[in-house]
Amino acid sequence: MRAMLICLLLVPLLGAMIGTSMPSAKASRRWALGVSLLTAALAGALVALFDFGHAQRFQFDCEPEMFMIDEIGFSVHLAIDSISLWLIVLTAFLTPLAIAASWESIAKRQTEYYVWMLVLLFAMLGVFAARDLLLFYVFFELTLIPMFFIIGIWGGAQRQYAALKFFLFTFSASVLTFAGILYVGMYAAPGSQPSMDLDTVIQHAQYGLTPHQQLWVLLAMLAGFAVKIPLFPVHTWLPLAHTEAPTAGSVILAGVLLKLGTYGMLRIALPIGMPNAIVYLAPALGVLCLVGIIYGALVAWVQKDIKKLVAYSSVSHLGFCVLGLVAMNVVGVQGSVLYMINHGLSTGALFLVVGMIYDRYHTRDIDQLSGLARRMPILAFFLVLFTLSSIGLPGLNGFVSEFLTILGAFTSTNLGIGFGAVAALGIILGAVYMLHMVACVLFGPLKTPMDDGASGHGHAEHAGDGRPGDLGGREIAILVPLAVAVVLLGVMPNIILRTIEAPVSRLLRPSGADDAIIRPVSGHAAGVERETEFVVRGREE
Amino acid sequence: MNFLHALVPEVALVMAACVLFLLGATRSLLARRASPWIAMAALAFVGGRMMAPSGDDLPSSIAATLMSPAFTVFIKTLTVLVAMLLTLLHWPTDGSGSRTSSLELGQESPEYFGLMLLSVAGVLLVAGANDLILLFLGIELASLPTYVMVSISRPIAVAQEAAVKYFFLGAFSAALTLLGLTFIFGATGATNLTGISNAVASAELHAVFSGWLLIGGVLVILGLAFKLAAFPLHFYALDVYTGAATPMTAFLSFIPKITGFTALIRVLNALGAPVAHEIPQVYVSLLWVMAVATMTIGNTLGLMQHNIKRMMACSSIAHSGYMLVGVTAAFTLTDGMYSENGISGVLFYLVAYGVMNVGVFAVLMMLPARPDPFTNDGKIAPATSAETLADIAGAGRRDPGLGMIMAICCLSLIGIPLTVGFMGKVLLARPALEVSYIGLVIIMVLNAAVSAGYYLRIISAMFLKEPPPDTGLEASSETHAVAVGTVCAPSHMRTAPLMFAGVLSAGACICLGSLVPAMTAVRSAARESFYIQPSTPGIVKPMPPQRSAPSAIPRR
Repeated sequence: MRAMLICLLLVPLLGAMIGTSMPSAKASRRWALGVSLLTAALAGALVALFDFGHAQRFQFDCEPEMFMIDEIGFSVHLAIDSISLWLIVLTAFLTPLAIAASWESIAKRQTEYYVWMLVLLFAMLGVFAARDLLLFYVFFELTLIPMFFIIGIWGGAQRQYAALKFFLFTFSASVLTFAGILYVGMYAAPGSQPSMDLDTVIQHAQYGLTPHQQLWVLLAMLAGFAVKIPLFPVHTWLPLAHTEAPTAGSVILAGVLLKLGTYGMLRIALPIGMPNAIVYLAPALGVLCLVGIIYGALVAWVQKDIKKLVAYSSVSHLGFCVLGLVAMNVVGVQGSVLYMINHGLSTGALFLVVGMIYDRYHTRDIDQLSGLARRMPILAFFLVLFTLSSIGLPGLNGFVSEFLTILGAFTSTNLGIGFGAVAALGIILGAVYMLHMVACVLFGPLKTPMDDGASGHGHAEHAGDGRPGDLGGREIAILVPLAVAVVLLGVMPNIILRTIEAPVSRLLRPSGADDAIIRPVSGHAAGVERETEFVVRGREE
Repeated sequence: MNFLHALVPEVALVMAACVLFLLGATRSLLARRASPWIAMAALAFVGGRMMAPSGDDLPSSIAATLMSPAFTVFIKTLTVLVAMLLTLLHWPTDGSGSRTSSLELGQESPEYFGLMLLSVAGVLLVAGANDLILLFLGIELASLPTYVMVSISRPIAVAQEAAVKYFFLGAFSAALTLLGLTFIFGATGATNLTGISNAVASAELHAVFSGWLLIGGVLVILGLAFKLAAFPLHFYALDVYTGAATPMTAFLSFIPKITGFTALIRVLNALGAPVAHEIPQVYVSLLWVMAVATMTIGNTLGLMQHNIKRMMACSSIAHSGYMLVGVTAAFTLTDGMYSENGISGVLFYLVAYGVMNVGVFAVLMMLPARPDPFTNDGKIAPATSAETLADIAGAGRRDPGLGMIMAICCLSLIGIPLTVGFMGKVLLARPALEVSYIGLVIIMVLNAAVSAGYYLRIISAMFLKEPPPDTGLEASSETHAVAVGTVCAPSHMRTAPLMFAGVLSAGACICLGSLVPAMTAVRSAARESFYIQPSTPGIVKPMPPQRSAPSAIPRR
């Protein structure tokens, strides 16, 4: 039980090490898929063994003494509550799909590629499992290295520039986070040993720092997380990285890596700035989110490159996610956590479909593609499904989380009606640019770089004559699990919502409040929970 | 136990050096082949002696001149271990026993290794010195051989130019240091460091001689800046590092640096007796400015380079800046106390810098240079291995092992987590935060981000760039091919000693990241570096200042 998380981390790490000495490219990709599936199975076992009755409690706690460094208060402390659990499940779910999607599209230096994928998996899981601030940062930065190589070696034409920009942008910002982490860590226990333990640090930040110090620490933390998310003015690395990355890289980047920023904000920045600083900054952050939502949507609208369009849609969507976080109420934060998972699913799926189109036509230009539904009905089905999920069609997953984040903004004491109204406008824009893309690419006269638009119809049945055909079995097998998840979370969001209630309300309470309050739910907290449940149920009906 | 007994490590090294000089006079092939083995054996002997606990303390008569607390032992052990790694880099790989891919010693091979041992002996002297005269002798003993080594490391003009430049500026900085030491002696009447700190602690001196003392301290700091390659005497580094043969560059970027930091810590320690006075704010402010300027200048210059050896020179400057952050924090008084965390941070970073630096140079030596049509008539200069980004383009694809070593070392130099460089930065930032130098820490981490700019160019050259079409050596003239072909063919270059050094340092870069014992050693060393314990202010009795010259010279 206790060793579960260690196993979860060791499997991809050892898998990567063994993967370096695979005899052939085929063997290495099979090995990587096997290892990632084993990791996914372990994540499934975590869900099965997790005690949802006490979801706010950190479970599978494990802190091996051999890795403790008292000098700086560092220890390898792993534990998860249900928020981390679901994000781990998301990571373990997406990675095998991403690896399977690279099966044929990655043609050179395959062994290296799959090793980096497994290292990336290791680092991402580590971020979500870490309960030590420095350990969190270690994993947070470690994700940069595999991603740097994945973009830089297997990316598109501008891959080297994109990889450097990705690395330098995120690294430059996160060194400030590093400074902030050291600052709170070193002051965490005045007069005694420094401690990097997350609970100690948060408690100290809330009670031990002056409001002024707290504000600066919060700003330092936000610097790194905002670039990773990415929030509006610092999003410029994202479109380039997404466009240049190989399909699997984009899937992981959008699906999980961006969530590291929001997760860090939720887990570290919010609690550290809790009573004062975050409330002070919330309106400013909210405005940035709104600008991101609207600006991202408008820029996405005019993109000619489908991948870039989806990338900008991420900027817009992550705005909703952060808006829910800074609302600082249970509904908003809950919606935001759900948003992280939903965005990972639907945007990841969109990137996969776009990658499949690119594999066939070697272009992602909206002007060069048209009427694909005629030739590839199955692909069209999936593209429409994931588009609708991304737009937030009721019944699919995106709707619930978008609704909750906006509701959070409306009812928040930090934000208010204005924020909710503008964000709601963003949903409309989202529908506009996504549907615009789908209409252009899927419908209308058939036009691909190979058909030159000359013949409008009648070619769909000649899939075998050298023209690319519809999705194959492997591709369908990749997309079906995502489609199932998208529908499932649309119909039954309570699978996740109900289990993250308790940890979210624990997060929103000042820490150091007696543990006794947390376990048997106090009157106030119970009221909050009932309210949420009502909201959720009300919408399902 | 007598005086010589305490000096066994130094004496052993000097004796081995003398043997090597004698062998060099024979001009025989056997002597050339034996010389690296002799050097290695001498270093191994000293290293073994350092590792073994001696148990008994030095008698007080010796302790007046020589010290052997944990700090000294730590510096000596570290120096000897890194010197062994550096010897591996110099290991001759051809039959004549005088040449590697990027080193051509000709007949002077034994002398070269002898000079190397002398230089190491100098560092050991500095580490043990408790007397200004011995300290200065040690610094000079560590420095003078390096001037000659740069010059004979390879027979091309740039190396001679580098040697001359290095020598003149080195002499200038030595004069500066000596002038400073003279002022200190004049102000305190003592050359013994303990005596100086006692004199500083006594109140009557303070009124009269504090001005002299201040000038002396500032001059010493500035003079030592040359050894550290720190602002304002950093500018020589780029040319000298580029001109010297690659293994010599590795030597230059570590041995003078550890000499400088040891001496700096020693002198500042004596000047800042925490009992009665704090270190004059001038020193701390000066160190603060130097730290900021050094790391910023180093990293900014690094961004502009295409030659990796120049980049590593900039990196060397920048890392001195990081370590100066630790020194600055260490000598800032908070609550009437010095924190040993500053010193322990610097010591740990020295270990870290030692290993990660050697790794980079080892890889550079294992990669061939490519003929550049624009310089040198399209030929490769003799004794030249990979030096520019174009030389290493795509090398990580051809040889993933070398690529990994280079990548790990570069990531460690940036300070990416799970490497020793990261831990080093944490341990340097911690003391700075303890004394509330938040600005300094922010500048340091931002500098780490800037430095990522050029280290990543090395990594991306190795992994992301395609290797250029193989031009080979057939274009160059026949004689040239004979001269260079044996040296530069990759199969000959990837030799066991180099590979061993590379793997060892890359391994250390990852493992040390979580290695607790190293930190414990560093900590105990740092604690004892303050030989006037800050926590026990009552123990040190201020001695009457000794003005008369005879009594100021310690018993020897």
